[in-house]
Amino acid sequence: MSLLAQQLVLAVLLGGVYVAVAVGFSLVWGILNIINLSHGAFIVVGAYITWTLFGRFGIDPFLSLPLDALALFVIGYALQRGLINRVIRAPVFFTLLLTFGVNLAIVNLLLAVFTSDFRSVTPSYAGSGLTLGPVVVPYIRLAAFVIAFVVAGLLSLLLARTRVGAAIQAVASDRDAAQLVGIDLRHTYALTYGIGAACAGVAGGLLSTVQAISPTAGDPYTLQAFVIVVLGGLGSVTATVVGGLLFGFIEVFGQAAPGLGAGYANAIAFAVLVVVLVVRPQGLLGR
Amino acid sequence: MAEPFLSVRGLSAGYGETLVLRDVDLDVDAGELVALIGANGAGKSTLLATLSGLVPPVSGSVRLAGRELAHARPETIVAAGLAHVPQGRRLFGGLTVERNLLLGAYLRRDGEIRADVERVVGYFPALRDKLARDAATLSGGEQQMVAIARGLMARPKVLMVDEPSLGLAPNVVDRVIDVCAEINRAGTAVLLVEQDVLVALEVARRAYVLETGRITLSGDAAELRADDRVRKAYLGI
Repeated sequence: MSLLAQQLVLAVLLGGVYVAVAVGFSLVWGILNIINLSHGAFIVVGAYITWTLFGRFGIDPFLSLPLDALALFVIGYALQRGLINRVIRAPVFFTLLLTFGVNLAIVNLLLAVFTSDFRSVTPSYAGSGLTLGPVVVPYIRLAAFVIAFVVAGLLSLLLARTRVGAAIQAVASDRDAAQLVGIDLRHTYALTYGIGAACAGVAGGLLSTVQAISPTAGDPYTLQAFVIVVLGGLGSVTATVVGGLLFGFIEVFGQAAPGLGAGYANAIAFAVLVVVLVVRPQGLLGR
Repeated sequence: MAEPFLSVRGLSAGYGETLVLRDVDLDVDAGELVALIGANGAGKSTLLATLSGLVPPVSGSVRLAGRELAHARPETIVAAGLAHVPQGRRLFGGLTVERNLLLGAYLRRDGEIRADVERVVGYFPALRDKLARDAATLSGGEQQMVAIARGLMARPKVLMVDEPSLGLAPNVVDRVIDVCAEINRAGTAVLLVEQDVLVALEVARRAYVLETGRITLSGDAAELRADDRVRKAYLGI
């Protein structure tokens, strides 16, 4: 019983991290129709910023998250405006190819700067947690969970309440009509991509505290983000939150099933993905 | 004589190698209601898309209040006072009617945007209790009303309305056309593109006839209504 409770807590907390991993990917896919293969690389860049600030200057990893977001926003905005925007109207294959190339470039840049060694961020409170009877809630994972939901909430508010959010949705809905009310397409595309990258940066900062990072660690995150968005459905932050939490449960409980182990985590996740695609191809909450 | 408010001279435009518009001249004076008529595929919508910067012109000039806008970006053109209500409504589905209207005022920074929502809804009282609805769930007539209201939210000096009557019931068409005339009486110049030629010539002061990309006739709306060529080609008389 206590084991089950512990697993439940871990599943929910892990789900929170997955929400952070997927929320920016979902925005870029839903609004720009770009399956951003460099998303995982953005996450890793965020992780390395947090790692550097922690290692060099002793800055707490959670305090460096706004910097991760800012740096990745700038990188994302510039990349979209200068490079990806050139193929935005081309078939989806071209954006796949281009973002794949961007991914390779970033990974190799990181290899050159940081080498391929695994790194981790371990603040003094890394090992401790909140003890609730038989269940232990690790502080770091709890904080990561809360921050993931804050990020998702802020993104939701941005889209639902602000002028920029209205412009982003208008562009997704009808780009000609958006231009006719005076929305600058190039700027709005770049903003959207920048915001997606900023979310990835925060996710990277969070992940650096719970997992070891290396320049090539990004690709599984892109894959996970893809599965989560397909699970939840494209087109809303809520759908991504549901997809992320579900993915956390699948991973934790799949591994705990008799006869299976940690090695089956991805296989289980993709099996569920296939089932969802067959039964409900628009995703659980997709339109 | 002073330059007309909106002055189009020698405008040619098209898609790729194909020219759709050839050497189009067209004027709209301040406060005027001008109709643009012509058959399907004559280039009416392309003309409006060129004027609003969606289609780049090949040659020619578009001047609004003396300012050259032929190669300006769409947002510059909207800001200069030329708004375009596109054919087929083109609302932002998934967003509420109210947000659609607020997006119409996207470039405005003044404090009167909220008051303007009230003002434009005043033209279409049917929209008043539908502001919180998803725009995509409205009827065709209501969507057309929102599209025109959204265009007005930019506070344009010239409002271009493309085929507002398309696919609407006759009583709704009357309402929509009446509102175009009301908007015009309130001081906004209107360039009305309309397939229903009789309706268009009744409400407009002047009109242009566009055929295969060229202006072939223009003049006083009442005179065009009496013109044999117009009667034969568009009124079926």
